[in-house]
Amino acid sequence: MQDDPVDVLIIGAGASGAAIAWSLLETRMRILCLEQGPHLEDKDFPSRDDDYELARYGEFSCDPNVRGLKQDYPINADESCITPVNFNAVGGSTINFLGHWPRMKPSDFRTHSLDGVGADWPVDYETLAPFYDMNDRNTGVSGLGGNPAYPDYTPELPPIPMGKLGQTLAKGFNEKGYHWWPSDVSILSEDHDGRQKCVNAGTCDLGCAAGAKGGTNFSYWPMLENAGVELRTGARVREIRVDKSTGFATGVLYHGPDGQVHEQRAELVVVACNGVGTPRLLLNSKSKTFPDGLANRNGLVGKNLMFHPLTGVAGVFDEPMLGHEGPMACSILSQEFYETDPSRDFVRGYGLHSGRSTTPMTYALGGYGIDNPIPWGAEHREIMDNVYPYLAGLTIVSEDLPEEHNSVTLDSDLTDSDGIPAPKITYKLGENTRKMLRHGEERAKEILLAAGAKKVLSKNDDKVWWRAGWHQMGTCRMGNDPETSVVNGWGRSHDVKNLFIVDGSIFPTAGAVNPTSTIQAMALYIGDSIKTKIETLFD
Amino acid sequence: MLNETNRPILDAILDELIPPSEDGKIPGAGALGVAEFLPTANAYAPDAAGSVRTILDAVPADFVALPRDEKVTALKRVEAAHGQAFETLVRLTYMGYYSRPDMRPHFGVGAHPIHPLGYPVARESDAMMDELTAPVRARGKVYRDAR
Repeated sequence: MQDDPVDVLIIGAGASGAAIAWSLLETRMRILCLEQGPHLEDKDFPSRDDDYELARYGEFSCDPNVRGLKQDYPINADESCITPVNFNAVGGSTINFLGHWPRMKPSDFRTHSLDGVGADWPVDYETLAPFYDMNDRNTGVSGLGGNPAYPDYTPELPPIPMGKLGQTLAKGFNEKGYHWWPSDVSILSEDHDGRQKCVNAGTCDLGCAAGAKGGTNFSYWPMLENAGVELRTGARVREIRVDKSTGFATGVLYHGPDGQVHEQRAELVVVACNGVGTPRLLLNSKSKTFPDGLANRNGLVGKNLMFHPLTGVAGVFDEPMLGHEGPMACSILSQEFYETDPSRDFVRGYGLHSGRSTTPMTYALGGYGIDNPIPWGAEHREIMDNVYPYLAGLTIVSEDLPEEHNSVTLDSDLTDSDGIPAPKITYKLGENTRKMLRHGEERAKEILLAAGAKKVLSKNDDKVWWRAGWHQMGTCRMGNDPETSVVNGWGRSHDVKNLFIVDGSIFPTAGAVNPTSTIQAMALYIGDSIKTKIETLFD
Repeated sequence: MLNETNRPILDAILDELIPPSEDGKIPGAGALGVAEFLPTANAYAPDAAGSVRTILDAVPADFVALPRDEKVTALKRVEAAHGQAFETLVRLTYMGYYSRPDMRPHFGVGAHPIHPLGYPVARESDAMMDELTAPVRARGKVYRDAR
C-alpha cells in the first residue's frame, strides 16, 4: 500500500517534532506527522480519579517497560544503571515531563574550548537565544527575570508559587551565600492564550488535565492541526527508505493502526523520536547503501549516549513542608556549582533542584524514579506519620560527559509488538560524574541544615536514581566534521541530504539542565535554517 | 483466593506491614480492607495472587493468635525465605493502602481527585521575592562568558 507523497514527513509528535512543524508552517509545504501513540483527551489523564497515584505504577508509569502498552517499545536496560523513561502519544514525553524549563548556558555550548571535555556545538547561546524566546512564547513560560546565572531575559508570565518548601530552602541557600532562583517552568502561572493556569495539583507526571503545563499536546498541536498539518496516530515507523542511486531518503515504511505495513513517500524526512528512539530507527534502517544503519557511515549513530544522572538528599523539618502542593519538580534551582571550578576534583558541574515532595504512595514505594520501598512495620508508621510530611529535598542533577561506550544499539531478541527490534542501552557512570554527585550530596546536606532541617536523610550508597533516564542525548551528535558527527550544524545528516534530526540525540554535550527548552529551540533553529536555505537545501 | 480461613490471617499480616497508629485513629492495612485490593492488583505485579498465596502458606497456622512481637519475628523469617513474594506483597499493600482517598488526609494530602481542584497556593508577594533574592542579586553574575 502506498500513501500520497508529502513534502515533509515528521516522525514523532513530541517536543521537537511539533516545534519544527510549526516552524515550517509558513512554507505552505504539505506536512505529515506520524506518531506511534494516540491523541489523549483530558478525560484520559488519571488525575481526575480518586486513586490517581496507582496510575504511576501502571498505564501512566514513566517507564515503558512498566506500561507495556501497544504503542510502547520495550527497552533493554540490563547493562545500564539508568533506564530511559518516556511517553508515546501526541505530545510525546511532554505529556508526562515535569515542565522544568531552564535554558542551557553559554558555556554549555563550548565545553571543549573552555574545559577540554566533550565537544563544542556548531551553534552558540547567542544564536539560539531568539529561538528560546520564540519557543517560550509558543509554550507559555513562567519565571522571574534577572537571574544572575544567565544573560538577561525575562519569562512572559510571573513565577509560579515557590511555596513553603521553596521559601525555606531559599533561606538555606542565602545562609550559605549560594546562588538560587525561582525555577523557570513551562507551566502557566496565569490564564494564558486560552489555557487555564496551574492549580498546584502536583501530579505533572500524570499528564496535566488542566492544560496548564506546556506539553505540545496543549501548546503546539492545536495550532498545527488548525493550520492543516496532518497528524496520523497509531503509526509506528519501521524504517526509513533510501534511493540507492541518489542516496536520498524516499520515505518510510510504517505499521498503521489497521495492522498493515504502509509506505509513505516524502521529499524531506525529519526524525524526532528522542535520543533512544531516533538511533533505534536509524539502526533499523539498513540497506545496501547503509549496511550499518542509515546516516551511520562513521559508526556514531547510537554512540555517546548521555543522561543527567541524579541523586537526592532530603531534610526533615519541624513543620509540614506541604511539598505536594505545587508543580512536582519545580520550585527553586541553584546553579552555584554549575560551572567548572579548578579547585574541585571534577570538570563542569551540576544543578541543585528543589523537587517538591511526592504523594504518600510514591514516597512509601521509595520515591519518584526509585524502586526501593521504605520499611514495613512500626518503622513504616513512624516514617509516614513523622517524617514524610516534614520533608524538603534537593536533587543533584549532574552534567554527563559524552563517552562512546555509552550507547544505544538494537537488541538481538527483544522486539516491540510489531516485531521491530527494541533498543538496548549500554551505560555506566563516568568517574567525573561520580565525583560531581558526591560533591553535590555534601553541599545539599549543608544547605538543608542551614535551612533549618533537624535531620538529613541521604542514601550514601553511590547509586543514582534508576528511572532517571528522562533526558536522552548525544546519540546522533551534531558537528561540522562528518567524521565525528552524524548531522551538520543545522540538523541535516552528513550522509543523507534530505534527512534531518531535531531531537535531543543531536546534542554534542548535555549541560546540566532539563533539555526540552533547548531541544525545541534547536528544532526551531533547524526549521529556520531549512527555510533560509530552501533553494539549496539538498546541495 | 481468599476464604473465611485465610482472610483473617491475611488481615493480620497486613496489619503488621502497615500497623495502626498508636492512638488508633489511623487504621492498619488489614483493618482498612487492603486485602480486597490484592486480587485486583495484577496490573501492578505479574503474580500478585501467587505472591499472596506464597506468604499465606509460609506463615504459622496460628499467626493470628501470636503476640505482636512474635508476629513480626515470623514475618521476618518469611521475608528471608520468600524475598520476592514478600516484597511484592509489601509493594501491593502500600499501593492498596495509600490509594484509598480517605487515607491521604492523615498525611496532609487532600482526599479529592487532584484535578480539577488542586490546591490553593498563594504566589509570593513582590516584596517577599525582592527580600529573598536580594543576596543572590547582590553577588551579581554567576555564569561564564563563552566567547
